[in-house]
Amino acid sequence: MRIGDFRASYAHDESLWPTRVQRAWLGVLALALIAFPFGANGYQVSLACMLGIHVIAAAGLNIMTGYTGLISLGHAAFMGVGCYTAAWFAQRGVPFFATLPLAGATAALLGMVVGLPSLRIKGLYLAVATLATQFLVVYVFREWDSVTGGVRGVNVPNASLGGFELLNDQRMYFLIAPVAVALLVAARNLFRTRVGRAFIAIRDKDISAEVLGIHLLRYKLAAFAIGSFYAGVAGALLGYFYRAMTPEYFTLQLSIFYLAAIIVGGLGSMLGTILGAVFMTLVPELLRGVVAGIAQWAPRATEILSPVQQVVFGLLIVGFLVFEPHGLLEIWRRVRRTFHLWPFRA
Amino acid sequence: MSQYDHPTDPFRRRVVGASLGAAGLAALPLHSAIAQSGEIVVGAAPPITGVFAFAGVGLHQGLGDYCEWRNTKGGVAGRKLRYIGEDSGYKMDQAMSVFKKIMGANKPPVFYGDSTAWAKAAAKEVSQLGTTLTSSPSFSSDLADPKNVPYYFMAGPTYTAMGEILLEYINRTSRGASRPAVAIVYSDTEFGRDPIPGIKAKAGALQIPIVQEIVTKPGAVDVSAEVAKLRRAKPDYVIFHGYVLAPIPEFIKQMRESGMTTTPMGTIWSMDKTTVDAMGAAGQGWMGVMPYRYSYDTKDAPTMQIIKDFAAKARPNMSYVPLFYTHGWLVGMIFSEVMERCLKAGKPLTGANMKAALESIDNWDTGGVTGLLASLKGHQIASGRIYTYDANTKLLEPASGWIKTA
Amino acid sequence: MSGSAFDWIALAEYSAIGLLSGGLLALIALGFVLIYKGTGVINFAMGEFMMLGAYFFYTANVMWRLPTLVALAITLAAVALVAALIERTVLRPLAGQPVISVLMATIGLASALHGGVDAVWGGANLEMPALLPRKPFTVGEILVPGQVVWSFVLAATIITAFTLYFRFSKTGVAMRAAASDPITAYVLGIDVRRTQALTWIFAGMVGAVAGIVVASMTSLSPALGGAALGVLAVIILGGLDSIAGAIVAGLIVGLIESLTAGYLGGKVRDIVPYVTVLVILLVRPYGLFGTRQIERL
Repeated sequence: MRIGDFRASYAHDESLWPTRVQRAWLGVLALALIAFPFGANGYQVSLACMLGIHVIAAAGLNIMTGYTGLISLGHAAFMGVGCYTAAWFAQRGVPFFATLPLAGATAALLGMVVGLPSLRIKGLYLAVATLATQFLVVYVFREWDSVTGGVRGVNVPNASLGGFELLNDQRMYFLIAPVAVALLVAARNLFRTRVGRAFIAIRDKDISAEVLGIHLLRYKLAAFAIGSFYAGVAGALLGYFYRAMTPEYFTLQLSIFYLAAIIVGGLGSMLGTILGAVFMTLVPELLRGVVAGIAQWAPRATEILSPVQQVVFGLLIVGFLVFEPHGLLEIWRRVRRTFHLWPFRA
Repeated sequence: MSQYDHPTDPFRRRVVGASLGAAGLAALPLHSAIAQSGEIVVGAAPPITGVFAFAGVGLHQGLGDYCEWRNTKGGVAGRKLRYIGEDSGYKMDQAMSVFKKIMGANKPPVFYGDSTAWAKAAAKEVSQLGTTLTSSPSFSSDLADPKNVPYYFMAGPTYTAMGEILLEYINRTSRGASRPAVAIVYSDTEFGRDPIPGIKAKAGALQIPIVQEIVTKPGAVDVSAEVAKLRRAKPDYVIFHGYVLAPIPEFIKQMRESGMTTTPMGTIWSMDKTTVDAMGAAGQGWMGVMPYRYSYDTKDAPTMQIIKDFAAKARPNMSYVPLFYTHGWLVGMIFSEVMERCLKAGKPLTGANMKAALESIDNWDTGGVTGLLASLKGHQIASGRIYTYDANTKLLEPASGWIKTA
Repeated sequence: MSGSAFDWIALAEYSAIGLLSGGLLALIALGFVLIYKGTGVINFAMGEFMMLGAYFFYTANVMWRLPTLVALAITLAAVALVAALIERTVLRPLAGQPVISVLMATIGLASALHGGVDAVWGGANLEMPALLPRKPFTVGEILVPGQVVWSFVLAATIITAFTLYFRFSKTGVAMRAAASDPITAYVLGIDVRRTQALTWIFAGMVGAVAGIVVASMTSLSPALGGAALGVLAVIILGGLDSIAGAIVAGLIVGLIESLTAGYLGGKVRDIVPYVTVLVILLVRPYGLFGTRQIERL
């Protein structure tokens, strides 16, 4: 039972994982992440890779929307920019440790352009502006044949380091997982800094923040840039993972997917990002597994049950919003509190 | 976020607890049955839900039913077929996820996907794995490429070949001194755009002028302005491609109402009887190219009769067997033929062996499904015939002989 | 295309079609505006209301073979019920929540409704009976399809009816009062919760009628809901809370879309609404007639 926090210095107070128990768990997690692909089958590894990509993209969106309050319905477009950039450079022989940052940087540039009007337009209007951007950027993907291959799409060569090619999902996992961990830690760290605190201030009340001397445009652009950077990196990893990409992937549905992930997971928290991404990735798989299981006894059932998944999913999202607006994070925190304060009630 | 924001009201807690419990129950792992030795798994990720749903259901049923029927005939070289098909929702990551799941759990030697996007994305992985032969509803010209996409085949001609068949027909049947004017209406998708360069090239070669080119969003849109544009171009024929139904009926209805006597034509996926029935009276005179026989055309076509009989027994509510079902059935036939040739030659079912077996299929009698004897050397079946729709009998009847393309 | 002279007839024809199609856009926009004005929410499930209305009508009219007016009445009642249910179970609990939660709730709802329709009626395209007379109107060489003209007439009638209702009827005025200042309205004895529910019911019914018309002009499928996204341009241009704005903006956007389709081709036509949105948001964020929002510390 944890009775209280004892912090003896500012540094200790600010540290990300202050207690020894937390650090021990982190070590266990690291070991589990490294050992995972050796014990799991191909399908599970590929799921883990997709999860990693989703986590990175959702983290970027959480930085923009959860921490800074800038609603973005165009996140998929930024991922697409990252993907096509990485593909373009990879086709010209640039190794992946250069294409990933380049993809992120290009997406960040576009993010800043999109974010420029954010001083004048806020809230719902900004959401609609990002929605419009989403459609426009995808239109560019389809028309700019010379760079993006138009509707035919692009082929992405295997990610390679020297001569070592990341041929299969197992090897991709060892690229995606470290990048995801690094970016998550970086994001968490961001909110210990002045920039991060400025973001939170802007979310809470941007006029007050401006009064306190926070340069709104600069920090809002920074939020867009950082969030889009994450999306760009996620998009690049997506391209390497699928090895071929068409513009039909980066739809409004995908942007909504990430928004749902962070809302269900918990806005304004990296743990919430992870929980939300896990939820959004695994629940459809579980639902499909249930349908496949039923289909073994009643083969005709697949046709009837498949659309029901979408209904269940939509209802889950609405259910979360109505009953637990702070998302899975709040449920997690309640569970933790129960354990910490046991035998007393939370 | 502060934990003092809202009091944890008991009703909310109970609901949350109950749903977590339900989620926990759902999380109990559901194992797929252990594959018995000797069974051959036929994997598929058909688009059972999503925008292609009615096609996907037909594909799913056709392929699955073929496997059932084949088992009653002793299976493939004595081994039974087991069909595992999971919905792809016509979404790429769902399709890839289903693909990886089935590949990981069952290692099927054959797999049927859901779209061009999937086929292209999976092509690399399939090449690298080298264990599986794939197909999908996509007839994209990029995919009929034995060198670069070695483990993919299509159960019909490419979209470009279909367009060429249409132009060939227009060329043969046009009389008079002036060349027939053709307009193309297509959807702004990979499906829609795929054959356009080839069609334009063929039109140029046949000296058929393309008087208008209209691109629309796929699916239901307001087409009044486009019809007005079309009317100005005064085409004799309009080729629609890249749609399954909408907005073709609206186009045709408005064209007729504005006095145009143009002949509308379509390609395979807009040629299903229920699709054309939905056009109502406007469907009169609808023409198009289709590589198969329709299920009611069983004369001298034993396979079509088998399909009709099996569907009547297994699915009594299905009064008409859609062309998607026929397509799925044919894909099952090709999969089985390839595997049978491999196994009978004593070779294991690997990608390379199956590719060789596929390319050895020449002058193959499909029992009437494809009209002519089929050849899969180029990983496609390059033949089809023109059908025309009679709104009175509500049937699509052949309007030409079987045409082979290069 | 005719010779070197500018084709004035073509321009006139595209413009006529554009302006008249704008009527239907204005009708859908009305649904959005009603909800925004009454409850401060952009309802991303509007397209799904349209789809639901069209499917209910199809069921009543085609599957159960009821006469058109009876089917219409049943549809409106059913959609009203669904809208009221949604308002009560989803929107009201989210009343104080940040804008993003409500946004996401309407999006999740849209997804659930979409899947529900897909599950019950299947994903196939279904053919709706033609409700509006199809005979084209010809003025000289200009030809406008009948449905376009009649949909404009229908939209105009409904919008006028609503405007009069809000202006002169007791409930209408109460709704406007509750929309503009809920607290004062409470004080004055107006049941604000009832007016909010009524707002959603009206918006649902408007959406249903628009959905039925769109479905009978094109075809019926679960993808019908996507039509509503393009209407966002209309409401942004007109102002999120202005009915007059919805009308004017509807006509303008319809015109622009038609001219783009005619002169630049169908592909560009699809992004025209979104380019419009961006331009307006940069130049005049509150639209032509929207109320300027003032933020206070």
